Amino acid sequence: MRTRIVPVLAALFSLSATTLAFSAEKTLSVAAAVFPRSLQTGQSSFAALSLIAQTNEALVGRDNAGNISPGLALKWEAVNETTTRFHLRQGVKWHDGKDFTAEDVAFTINRIVDPKVGYGLLARIGQVSGAKVVDKYTVDITTKTIFPTLVRGLSDIVIEPKHYYEQAGEQAVIQRPIGTGPFIYKTYVPGDRYELTANKDYWGGAPKYENLVIRQIPEAATRVASLIAGETQIIEEVPVDLIEQIESSGRAKIDEITTSAGLILTYDVRKPPFNNPKVREAFDYAINKPAIFKEILKSRGEILDGQLLTKSTLGYNPEIKARPYDPEKAKALLKEAGFNFKTTVPLATQSGKYTSDVDIANVVAGMLNEIGVNATVNVVEGGVWSQMSTALEMGPLHMIAWYSLGDADFSSVWFTKLGKRSVWINEEYDALFTKARSTSSEEERVKYYNEMMALMHKENPAMFLFGLPSIYAVSNSITGFGAASDKVLRVNKAELK
Amino acid sequence: MLRTIAHRLTLAPLTLLLVSFVTFIILRVTGNPVDIYLDINRTPEQVAALTERLHLDKPLLVQYLIYLRDLVQGDFGQSLQYGGPAIDAVITSIGPTLRLLSAALLLAVTLGTVAGLVAAVYRDRFPDAVLSALAVAGQSMPSFWLGILLIQLFALKMQWLPTSGSGGFKYLILPALTLSAVLLPNFMLVTRTAVLDLMNEQFVATARAKGLSRIRILLTHILPNAANPLLSFLGIQIGTLMGGSIITESIFGWPGIGRLMISAVSNRDAPVVLATVFLVSITIILANLVVDVLHSIIDPRIRH
Repeated sequence: MRTRIVPVLAALFSLSATTLAFSAEKTLSVAAAVFPRSLQTGQSSFAALSLIAQTNEALVGRDNAGNISPGLALKWEAVNETTTRFHLRQGVKWHDGKDFTAEDVAFTINRIVDPKVGYGLLARIGQVSGAKVVDKYTVDITTKTIFPTLVRGLSDIVIEPKHYYEQAGEQAVIQRPIGTGPFIYKTYVPGDRYELTANKDYWGGAPKYENLVIRQIPEAATRVASLIAGETQIIEEVPVDLIEQIESSGRAKIDEITTSAGLILTYDVRKPPFNNPKVREAFDYAINKPAIFKEILKSRGEILDGQLLTKSTLGYNPEIKARPYDPEKAKALLKEAGFNFKTTVPLATQSGKYTSDVDIANVVAGMLNEIGVNATVNVVEGGVWSQMSTALEMGPLHMIAWYSLGDADFSSVWFTKLGKRSVWINEEYDALFTKARSTSSEEERVKYYNEMMALMHKENPAMFLFGLPSIYAVSNSITGFGAASDKVLRVNKAELK
Repeated sequence: MLRTIAHRLTLAPLTLLLVSFVTFIILRVTGNPVDIYLDINRTPEQVAALTERLHLDKPLLVQYLIYLRDLVQGDFGQSLQYGGPAIDAVITSIGPTLRLLSAALLLAVTLGTVAGLVAAVYRDRFPDAVLSALAVAGQSMPSFWLGILLIQLFALKMQWLPTSGSGGFKYLILPALTLSAVLLPNFMLVTRTAVLDLMNEQFVATARAKGLSRIRILLTHILPNAANPLLSFLGIQIGTLMGGSIITESIFGWPGIGRLMISAVSNRDAPVVLATVFLVSITIILANLVVDVLHSIIDPRIRH
């Protein structure tokens, strides 16, 4: 019997063919919290873009701070109001050795603007009508109207190889992507790991190590342990309560940056009690934002200045200040508004979607309780949340974050009729938004967004809380890596000691 | 015995039908896949196309019948998240889970039996007190906490084992240990009680009167007779073990079916959820069948 069990056990516990590193090859291991379902391009999640961006690049590059730089296009200029000409980088090769040309760009753009393709990030370049090859290294992108965010939007759209699509078909491209980027696809196991090798011919300089492994470790405490144990060198999404463990380990340090995400509490202004502007104002005075920022977020990120936009976003209005914490004034305003203190005010939030989301919700509810408001926290599961959100029935109060990606257009749209997500509709706000979208003058756009932010501050469709942090932890053996405000992993310049 | 097996197998489809029906209805009622897969900038055409593809325009019961019709033809449907056939996603992740489950089961059964025997033999003495206290502690310790604790101890302090991930044998140890803790304490306590009960039986007294050694009595007379309650217990606990693997897989980043299930549920990827539930149900049904068959082999009385 024993002789029969042994081979069975051996088979059960069979060692997978992971090569043990006796060679001098260097491997950088990164632990991610979330993995996308596949490597299909166009998925509108940071987790997806973060993996895809290792192999594939966009016309326009974007750095960790959100600044735009030349990518596969070296420069661009407006031909007329609705046409922009892109001059491509020459001598760039796909991972299979073929030349990267304007044909690839035109193919990619024309493919994804077809709504039937269902490209999730299409909204980033929503006004684009198509692309035309001018010569081998020049391409014109046309838009339906003036489209001021075209260039920034293109920094999310990776260019794909035309020849590979035509030879192998879409499924093959998803299964085994080919790009022009710093790393070459090796193997992807959803839920487990993404292995890549360095592209020695990368136009931006070959990475200084041979292999890149991105592992999914969903549990934060385990991610931290893997870093301290030296199994990984970079970990994403460090929860604030584990920062101290990392810092005291002496083996790694924290690297963080404020994202462009503004965390806000949105009121349902259609119904009582929040159809009364005085109640909304009172709630704003009732919350001690600096205290929450210090105690819960450990001062990571920033406190929003009474507006949706974070400080580094184009359109941020420096003249607006957050309302101070003043519980007495809050109580007085509520009495004035005839607020019924017996009604329950549920605050809807998701769990684990944003940094410390449930903790923040709990403290906010607690502070509301202190002024006599019967606030409760309602943690909503993701699937149910999206159903509520599409139906525009989120309850009286819900916590959500909107990403601006550095430009007010991307987040302010969610409060317009056009965005289809807002229960607060303001004609003046909408008109300003349309004006901002119809000019390519940055100065004018900033002016309009400033006015929009002032209007929102006055009307209080939401309570503006925090600019969320993006927190990484990095092993002391790594240099040349920085935290990214857009949560896209950029490791090709990293070096292992 | 063949009749028993046949009888059980004819009941299995009914169980599967019931399980799939309940799962299907819950998934559909609590979230609309169209809201999850098409973002706010969707066009009415996109909504109509997806609604039609998923038959969401039809009554719930009709949707379920369509699902059954495809299922009978061996088609679990296309995964909404992964694009490919749902069953493919499930098959790739069931391997790691089965490996984890069998290792945990093996650990729980061997350690549990030995500990239970020792506790019974040294009843109310020091070893029993220690083991029983450990068992109670183990029972009340959430696997989540235990997992993190084991990582801190064996991966960080001692540096003997990797913190997480999958690969060779050493990657299996901590997750298996964590998962086995769901079962081990109970298994030990059940063994202890069973052995203690048997010790008062007449055949044990007879064996003792014959002058057999204590160890011989324990191993050849008591333990085989204790196998029955232990097996019944095991049959009930396999479902619990499956449930426990969801948490364990998340802590250790183990690429198994538990995590697949979580992501499929929160994305309302009904084809994947149903395929997973189906496979898990079949596993549990088969495991219980094996338990029953073993029962009748061990105890001839059950055969009649």
